[in-house]
Amino acid sequence: MRLCIPNRLEDVFLALDRAELTLDRAAIDNACRADVRLVLEELLVNTVRHGYPDGREGKIDIHLEIRADIVRLELRDDAEAFDPLLYDPPDLPGDIADREIGGLGLHLARSIASDFEYARDAHGNRVVIRFDPSLSDEPSP
Amino acid sequence: MTLIVRSESPIPARTTVWLEGRLDAATFGDLDEALRDITPLVDNGGTLVIELSGLEYISSAGLRSLAQLRKQMHDRDGRTLLLNPQPQVKKVFDIVKAVPVAEVFASVAELDQYLDHMQRQITG
Repeated sequence: MRLCIPNRLEDVFLALDRAELTLDRAAIDNACRADVRLVLEELLVNTVRHGYPDGREGKIDIHLEIRADIVRLELRDDAEAFDPLLYDPPDLPGDIADREIGGLGLHLARSIASDFEYARDAHGNRVVIRFDPSLSDEPSP
Repeated sequence: MTLIVRSESPIPARTTVWLEGRLDAATFGDLDEALRDITPLVDNGGTLVIELSGLEYISSAGLRSLAQLRKQMHDRDGRTLLLNPQPQVKKVFDIVKAVPVAEVFASVAELDQYLDHMQRQITG
């Protein structure tokens, strides 16, 4: 699946539904499908909300590739430089009511993906995430 | 798929809220809005049970709504208990250590046992 969407929340959710349909048609199991949806939602919502502080129009390319043993997701955008791997892990006191709101989305995305890469080139940000469909019932350590 | 929120308050000390569908960045506002009407119905010191058997999916946006709800209930000396989280929701709760394990129940029987125990501590 290849999609190019504008930096708007409603388009993010259309893309999530398309990705889920693609995974469903490829008979990827529920757990892995939900993992991909979650990582996509967290990263795309973050890009749309924070990646374009000047309010300009942007575009996000989504490439979802399903192979026998791996689901590979590649995201490219023309937003501000942002490396999701450079974030400090959030404080997790054991009750979400006892912590500052925020910072959980990226932590979820990084915890769930089997493998996460970031690069920035002349076109913008590029993130490649791999999911192992056979491991998706357990969170990654 | 959207989010459906239903609630029932058989007694002022206990309200149950059922969530069905997806709780994410597209739907958390619907929950926040519904809760604005529901939480005032719970007595101070009361119990709010969130029934999650119909909730297929949660993201960080949904966690934020639940965190705010738990804070509100704490401020009123109340409890927020979670019932029947499904695999994806349970996994997300586990990763972020969302709630103390003692406040998540896998069945109504387990929840009733806990509430009976709490009741006996208060009255006994």
